[in-house]
Amino acid sequence: MHTTIDRDVEPMLAADAPGADAVIRVRGVVKRFGSQVLYNGLDLDLQRGEVLGVVGGSGQGKSVLLRCITGLEPYQGGCIEVFGQRMERLNARARAVIERRWGILFQDGALFGALTVLQNIQVPMREHLFLSQATMDELAHLKLAMVGLPATAANKLPSELSGGMRKRAGLARALALDPEIVFLDEPTAGLDPIGATAFDQLIRQLQRTLGLTVYMVTHDLDTLFAICDRVAVLAEKRIYQTGTPSALQTNPSHPWIKDYFQGERGRRLGPMAVVAQ
Amino acid sequence: MAARGAWTISSLAALQGRIERLVPSGERPLPARASFDLSGLSSLDTAGAWLVDRVTRQLADRGCATTLIGLNLQHQVLVEEIARLRGFSSENEGGSRLLKSVGESFARVAAAGREVLALAAFLGAFLTTMARTVTWQARFRWTAFAHHLEHAGLRAAPIIALICFLIGAVVMQQGALQLATYGAEPYAASMLAVLALREVGVLLTAVMVAGRSASAFTAEIGSMKMREEIAAMRTMGIDPVETLVVPRIMALLIALPLLTFVGDIMCLAGGAVVAVFYLDQSLATFLERLQAAAEPRHFLVGMIKTPFAALVIGLIGCSEGLKVAGSAESLGRYVTAAVVKAIFMVIILGALFAMFLVSIGL
Repeated sequence: MHTTIDRDVEPMLAADAPGADAVIRVRGVVKRFGSQVLYNGLDLDLQRGEVLGVVGGSGQGKSVLLRCITGLEPYQGGCIEVFGQRMERLNARARAVIERRWGILFQDGALFGALTVLQNIQVPMREHLFLSQATMDELAHLKLAMVGLPATAANKLPSELSGGMRKRAGLARALALDPEIVFLDEPTAGLDPIGATAFDQLIRQLQRTLGLTVYMVTHDLDTLFAICDRVAVLAEKRIYQTGTPSALQTNPSHPWIKDYFQGERGRRLGPMAVVAQ
Repeated sequence: MAARGAWTISSLAALQGRIERLVPSGERPLPARASFDLSGLSSLDTAGAWLVDRVTRQLADRGCATTLIGLNLQHQVLVEEIARLRGFSSENEGGSRLLKSVGESFARVAAAGREVLALAAFLGAFLTTMARTVTWQARFRWTAFAHHLEHAGLRAAPIIALICFLIGAVVMQQGALQLATYGAEPYAASMLAVLALREVGVLLTAVMVAGRSASAFTAEIGSMKMREEIAAMRTMGIDPVETLVVPRIMALLIALPLLTFVGDIMCLAGGAVVAVFYLDQSLATFLERLQAAAEPRHFLVGMIKTPFAALVIGLIGCSEGLKVAGSAESLGRYVTAAVVKAIFMVIILGALFAMFLVSIGL
C-alpha cells in the first residue's frame, strides 16, 4: 500500500520552479460558518520540497484552512487534492493511507497527557506498523535526538516539559512515520526569540535532511524570512498573493500585505533592511 | 552486500527479519572487510537509514569493517545524520525493577503522610482566618456565603430528601420482615427511629454532600487556580482562604446540620409510609412506638457529628482545589480524589463517633 517516493529531488526547490509538482492542490474552496463566508474560491498549491508559509490577519482563517486540508473541518465547495487524489472522494481506508504520509504539529504539541514523550512518539508506530518494542524504542530515541531533545526527556510526561520542549516533542511525534508533508500550526508562537530562532533552524535542517515538504501557518515575520521559500497571504476570502517573502515585501498588492511586510517590524527584515543600511 | 528497493518505515519489520537471516550468526568468522552497496535503493527514510546504520554497527562489532558505497547525496546526508544522532540517544536508565517498586511504595506512604500534614496545615489556615474574622481583622464574605449556602444546602435538599425517604422505607420493611420471625414486628419502628436518627440520616446526608459539594468546591477553586486567578488575587492583597475557603466551609457548617434534619425526618416518613401501606399498621401505632424510642439523645448523637463531617468535606474539597496545577487533566484527577477522600473520611468519622459515643453511654 505504500508507494515508493522519489526522494531524489533537490531538497531546496526554488519557488514555482518549472517541473515542480504540487503535492497539495486546493481549488475554489468555499467555506462558510452559518451566513459568514470565510473563503470564497480559494486556490493554493504546495510544491514538493518547499517550505510554504501561510499568513493572514487574525480571523482570516489560517488555521481553519489547515484543518480543511487535513480533513478536520468540512468545506462547502471546491476541491482539495493531496498526492493527486481528491480528498472528498476518498473512503476511510484510502484517507488513512494518505494520513500516514503527513504529520501535523498542533499549536501546543497536542501530546497525549497520560503518556510519556517516548510513548507519544511511538503511538503512530504502534497503530500502523508491526515493530518490536526494542526497535520502536530505538527509533523513538532517534526522533527525539533529531528534534534536539535530550535523552532525559524521553520518560517525562508532557506536563513536565516547557512549552518549547513540548513543541519539539510534538514535532518528533509528527515525524514518527517519516511523513512527506509536515503541517505546522504556529510553530514559533509562545517561544522566546532565541527558542523561536532555534526552532526555525531545526525545521530548516530537518526539511533538508529528510526532504520534507512543509506547510506552515505563522505570523512570525522572522520565520518567514528565515526559512520560507514561498509565502501565501490570506485576504479578501482567498489566497490574495503568493511569492517569496522578499517579493511580497517589495511588491505588495494589498494594503494588509503592505502593512505586514513594510511595517515597523517588517522593515527590519528582508530586502528593505538591506536598503535601510 | 547490496540493498534494493524501498527501505522505509513501512517495510522495516520485513527487512529486519530478512537481515537477521542473512547476516551469518554464531561463531563463524566474518571477513575483515565488506562493502554495502546502496545504489539500488529506490527510497530511504530515517527508519531505513537507522537499519543501515545498525547493520554496519553489528558487523563492526564482530570485526568486519563495512564501507557504504553507491549512496546518492540525499541518502548520504540522511545516513550520516542518523549515525551522528545515534550517539545522543541513550538507553533506558537501569536499576532493578524490584528496587524501583519498593522505592515507589515507600514514596507513596511518605506522600500519604505529607497529605495528612497538609490537611492539618490547611485546617490551621482556616481556623486562623476564622479567628481573624471574629475579631474583625478579616472580612466575612456574606454574598459568597449566601451563594454557597444556596448551592450546597438548599439545592441539595430534594435529592437528600428523596434518598433518605427511600432508605428509611427499605430499613423499615427489612426490619419488620426480620423481626417478624421473633414476633417482634411492632418493634421495627423503634429500630428505625434509633438507626435513622443516630446513623443513617447523618451518614446518607454527609455522603451525598461529600459527592455533590466536595467535587464542586474542588472544580471551582481548581479552575480558578488553573487560570491563575488565585495568583492574581494574592498579588492584589486578597487572601484566597478568606474569600474562597471560609465562605464555603461556613456554608457547609450551617447547611449540613439542616440537611441532616431534613434527612432524619424523611427517613422516618419513609418508615411511616411502609408501616401504613405495606405492614398495615395504623399511623397512630407507628407514631406511638416512634415517640417511645426516639429519645432526644439519639437525635443529638446524630447531630453532633454533622459539623465535623461538614468541616472534613469542606476542607478536603477546598484543599484539593488549591492543589490543582496547570493542566486540565490535573483538575479531573483532583476532583475525583476530593470525592473519594471526602466520602472515605466521612465514613471513618462516623464509625469513630459511633464507637466513642456508645462507650461514654450516650
